[in-house]
Amino acid sequence: MTEPKLSIVDLTKRYAADLDPAVDRLNMEVEEGHLVALLGPSGCGKTTTLRMVAGLMDPTAGSIVVDGKEITHTPVNKRGMGMVFQSYALFPHMNVEQNVAFGLEMRQVTKAEQKARVAAALDMVQLGHLGKRQTKELSGGQQQRIALARALVVEPTLLLLDEPLSNLDAKLRETMRTEIRAIQQRTRATTLFVTHDQDEALDMADRIAVMNGGLIEQFGSPTEVYERPRTHFVANFIGQANFLAARVGAETGRANLAGESHYKVEVDGLGQFGAIGSTGLSGSSHELVIRPHRLNVSLHPGAAQAPLAGTIERVSYTGDALAVAVRIGDQQLHAQMLTSSGDLPRIGDAAYLSWAADDAYLLPAAAQPVRLAA
Amino acid sequence: MSSANASSAKIFKPRFNPAKPAFGVLVFLLYLFLLAPLLIVFVVSFASNQYLSFPPEGLTLKWYEMLPQESTFMEGMKVSLIVAVIVTLIVLVLGVPAALALDRFEFRAKAAVQSFFLSPLLIPSIVLALGMVLLFGPLELNNTYAGIIIGHVAITIPFVIRTTLMSLATTDTSCEAAARILGADSWTVFRRVTLPIIQPGVIAGGVIAFIVSFDEAVISLFVAESGLPTLPVQVLRYVENSADAAVAALSVILILISLAVVVVVERVMGLRKALR
Ligand SMILES: Nc1ncnc2c1ncn2[C@@H]1O[C@H](COP(=O)(O)OP(=O)(O)OP(=O)(O)O)[C@@H](O)[C@H]1O
Ligand SMILES: [Mg+2]
Repeated sequence: MTEPKLSIVDLTKRYAADLDPAVDRLNMEVEEGHLVALLGPSGCGKTTTLRMVAGLMDPTAGSIVVDGKEITHTPVNKRGMGMVFQSYALFPHMNVEQNVAFGLEMRQVTKAEQKARVAAALDMVQLGHLGKRQTKELSGGQQQRIALARALVVEPTLLLLDEPLSNLDAKLRETMRTEIRAIQQRTRATTLFVTHDQDEALDMADRIAVMNGGLIEQFGSPTEVYERPRTHFVANFIGQANFLAARVGAETGRANLAGESHYKVEVDGLGQFGAIGSTGLSGSSHELVIRPHRLNVSLHPGAAQAPLAGTIERVSYTGDALAVAVRIGDQQLHAQMLTSSGDLPRIGDAAYLSWAADDAYLLPAAAQPVRLAA
Repeated sequence: MSSANASSAKIFKPRFNPAKPAFGVLVFLLYLFLLAPLLIVFVVSFASNQYLSFPPEGLTLKWYEMLPQESTFMEGMKVSLIVAVIVTLIVLVLGVPAALALDRFEFRAKAAVQSFFLSPLLIPSIVLALGMVLLFGPLELNNTYAGIIIGHVAITIPFVIRTTLMSLATTDTSCEAAARILGADSWTVFRRVTLPIIQPGVIAGGVIAFIVSFDEAVISLFVAESGLPTLPVQVLRYVENSADAAVAALSVILILISLAVVVVVERVMGLRKALR
């Protein structure tokens, strides 16, 4: 494997001796050209991690290595990073061109070259015509693009983005996320992207680092963290999930080339099912994760083999989809069905659930106290 | 779009609000109350009355013509201008970094330092002045520029710290972080980013410091009455000895100087903003 662009080793930050660490021995390797999303709930240490990489904050322990060189204690202005802040942080007393040129000026680039590179950067974010504007006279989305141009024009070693989309309205957020991703792929800038929005992370990232309480719970591609969550937290945070406590029985065969196996599992009150998981889980208790849209819901028995019968407890209609909560014994399962022009199911109606063995995934971590549903 | 706006404007036309003219009258009376002394001084400075009194018996410019010959006024003006200029410079050089430190750093005894810097606003200046005379005696600072300047710095620094802190409170510290990441060292960040952003507060503080120092009478009187009288001290002395309207004319000139400072600063700032 080639050398990673960025490696973070046992990075720790304690704001005060009597507080729990905000970032706790965090490890991560980022490949050149990748966009990595730091995803997690509020307060999990995303911003703290990013600021330590930027050099705005000293780590309590651990090291940061970029291109094979340790930069843990390199001053922030010598790191050559580019950063976009949540508030954009454009210099209010400079116009757009002066803002974008600032980093080049600091690098003592000649005036002529500055001019050319600023123009190219502004064209890249499609705002070439606004060079003379004051930053106050720009919309949120335009400020965002200028901030991106200002960070990228210096060809930074790493591009760091701290919730850059959170101040934009929902529509613009979607446009900007496509655009930022396109620009990132074109420039091949290795990027750390902080967000607490799972859709953003799934849509944009090459790799997602799911953070919780100062730790990375899982680091993997979007499909890995969604389809193969390592922990209850990851399964719960990314997308929706039904959790069932299961006793794992015999392995019934090899499931795929990734070394996963099929199992027979037993769920209290529901019966026996097929499930998939990593090898060697037989004989212990694990949580079964089933995504709501992978549950087949039918209003008539007999559509599937050996369905589970239950009653509909809640219906939520969103136009193209219908989310239902189905009570079976003492479990409540969340499922999704497509709407049709016919009658909608009503609360109290009977519903029949089934799922494919490949869609019931056993969490590799030993079961935590059972929580029923997301 | 625009037609929709126009019609909605018609529908929601504000009704007559009786509170508005009442408020206007109130504001007018308030201004009259505040400005009445100034107006009287202005009128008296053109009055031909032999002694300071109101109303005027006739009009004259003789008090203004007297001013240049009154050497005590000219001397006092020189001292006051020198003091005010130096005080303003010192107070900016000390006050702006102090405000930055108070705003940006967490340290023990921060609250104590903050109240120390702002305390001269709360202590009666006569108390300060007395303390300074006693302190300056053994240091041989009485009747020197250094003495007056130290005294004035002490009473004007709170203004600069205040106004600068106010500007800092509304600035986004990410701007400074952004500049550092883009390669600027601490001094460059201060010069190119922080200072331009807090400039309005710094300038306001400087103007206030200049005017307060230029006007200050109590400390100047205690510290340097005999040796280095400032203009306000000379005015006091003059009023003690003679009762003509020359001081009124001088007051008008002083008001005009203060106004000029404010207007020039406003102009320069305004111009610079327009040029950007
Ligand atoms: N300056 C500080 N002093 C003390 N504690 C801090 C400081 N900054 C952050 N923390 C704490 O450190 C933890 C991590 O904060 P951080 O800002 O990194 O979270 P985050 O993941 O970026 O959250 P958010 O999504 O809300 O921005 C939080 O518990 C926070 O309260
Ligand atoms: Mg944050």
